[in-house]
Amino acid sequence: MNQLFQFLLRQRNFLLFFVLELISLWSVFKYNDYQRTLYFNTTNQWVASLLAQKQEVQNYYQLREINRELAFENAQLRQEVFQLKAMQAPDLTLPYYISEAVLNRYQPVACKVIDLTTQQSQNYLTIDKGTKDGLHPGMAVISSTGVVGKILSCTENLSMVISILHINNTVSAKLKSSGELGYVKWAGWQPEVAEMMDVSKYKKVVKGDTVVTSDYNAVFPPNVPIGIVAKLGLKKDGNFHDIKIMLLTHFSALQYVYVIKNRLAWQQAKLEQSKPKLD
Amino acid sequence: MGTSSTIRWILTILFTLLIQVLFLRDLTIAYFAFCFIYVWPLVKAPIDTPPAYLMLGAFVLGWLVDVFYNTHGMHAFASVLMVSLRSPIFRLLTPANGYDERSSVSLQEMRPLWFFSYLFLMLFCHHSVLFLLEASDLSLLGISLLRGLSSCLLGLLVFGILELFNLNK
Repeated sequence: MNQLFQFLLRQRNFLLFFVLELISLWSVFKYNDYQRTLYFNTTNQWVASLLAQKQEVQNYYQLREINRELAFENAQLRQEVFQLKAMQAPDLTLPYYISEAVLNRYQPVACKVIDLTTQQSQNYLTIDKGTKDGLHPGMAVISSTGVVGKILSCTENLSMVISILHINNTVSAKLKSSGELGYVKWAGWQPEVAEMMDVSKYKKVVKGDTVVTSDYNAVFPPNVPIGIVAKLGLKKDGNFHDIKIMLLTHFSALQYVYVIKNRLAWQQAKLEQSKPKLD
Repeated sequence: MGTSSTIRWILTILFTLLIQVLFLRDLTIAYFAFCFIYVWPLVKAPIDTPPAYLMLGAFVLGWLVDVFYNTHGMHAFASVLMVSLRSPIFRLLTPANGYDERSSVSLQEMRPLWFFSYLFLMLFCHHSVLFLLEASDLSLLGISLLRGLSSCLLGLLVFGILELFNLNK
C-alpha cells in the first residue's frame, strides 16, 4: 500500500496531466454540438456493428434448433408425399380406389441420430425416440436422401436401428426404370457401396439407374431411393448380374432420420401369419 | 520569483487573456492563420516553475479561453498538452553549457536559434492539436495541420515582436 502511494506520488505530474486532459476531452465531447453528435454517431455505429456480430453468432447457435424444426417439417411434407403418391392411380383399366386407411398408412417421425457406426461389418444406429413416441421394432428408417435401415429394438425413449450396412440386412428392391425386382445387400466393407442381387442376366440393366424399394415390402414404403447403379458385371455362377450400387444415404454425415410408422403393419403381419403352414 | 515579478506575471496573463478574447477572437488571416496570444505566459514561464502548477495554470487559462470561444475543453486540452511537452522540448534543445536554473525563456538570455525552435515546437504542438480536435475528422487532417502550421508561423512573428519589445526595455 505504501509503495502504491509512493508510486502515485512519484507519478503525480503525469497523473495531474492525465486528469486534466481527461476533463478537457470530456467537456469537448460533452458540450460541443459537433463533437457530441460525432461521438454519438460513431459509438452508435460501433454498437450497431457489435450487435450485428452478436446476432450472427446467436443465429449460428440457433441453427441446431432450426435444423430440428426443419426435420419435423420435412416429416410432415414426407407424409403428404406418401399420400399423394398413393393417390396417383396406376394406369389401370380396372376400376380402382384406395381406401382412406391405406392412403394414410405411412406416417414419418423425425428422429435425431445420437450414435452410429459405419466401420464394422454389423453396423447399428441409435436414435432419440422410443416406444413413448409410438416406435416399434420392425419399422422402416429412412433419411432425406435414401434408405437407412429398420428398427431392431426399442426402449422407452431410445431405439436401436439395424443399418443397411449390416451383412445380414437385406432390402427388397427394384430398378426404377425397368421395374426389375431383386434385393439389396451390403457388400461388407465400404459404407458407400452395396450390391443388388437376384437380377437375371437376361434383363436389361443400365448404369446410373436408380434402385428404389419395391412395392412388395413389408417394412419400407414403395419407391424410397436406395442407391444408383455404379458398376455392372456378371456373377461367377453366370446367371445373374453383379450390380454394385452407390448408396444415396451418406451415413457418415447422418444427423436426422425419419422413422416410418406403418399403421397397417400389424394387420399385414397378422394376415401373413395366418398363411397355412405346409409341412 | 519576487512579489513584483509575480504581480507582473499575473497582469501579463490577464492582459493577454483580455486581448485574446476581446480582439483576437474574430481575427483571422484568410481563415488559415489564427493568433493565440494567450499561450504567451505559458511559453514564457520560468524554467524552474513546477510542472504541476504550470499544468493547472494552463488548464485554467485554456478553460477561460474556451468559455469565450465556445469551444469547451479544446483549448484546455491543447494548453495542458503543450505545457506538459515543455520539459521534453527543453531536454531536446539543451544548449551546450546547459540551462541556468534562474534563467528565463527569452531572446535576451537564449540564442535566437534556440528560442525560435522552442517557440516553434511549442506553438505547433498546441495549434495542430487544437485544430485537429476542432475538426474531429481525419479527412480534414491536411487542412488542420496546414492551419496549425500557418498559425504557428504567425505566432512566431507576433511573439518575436513582443520579445523585441522586451529586449529594448
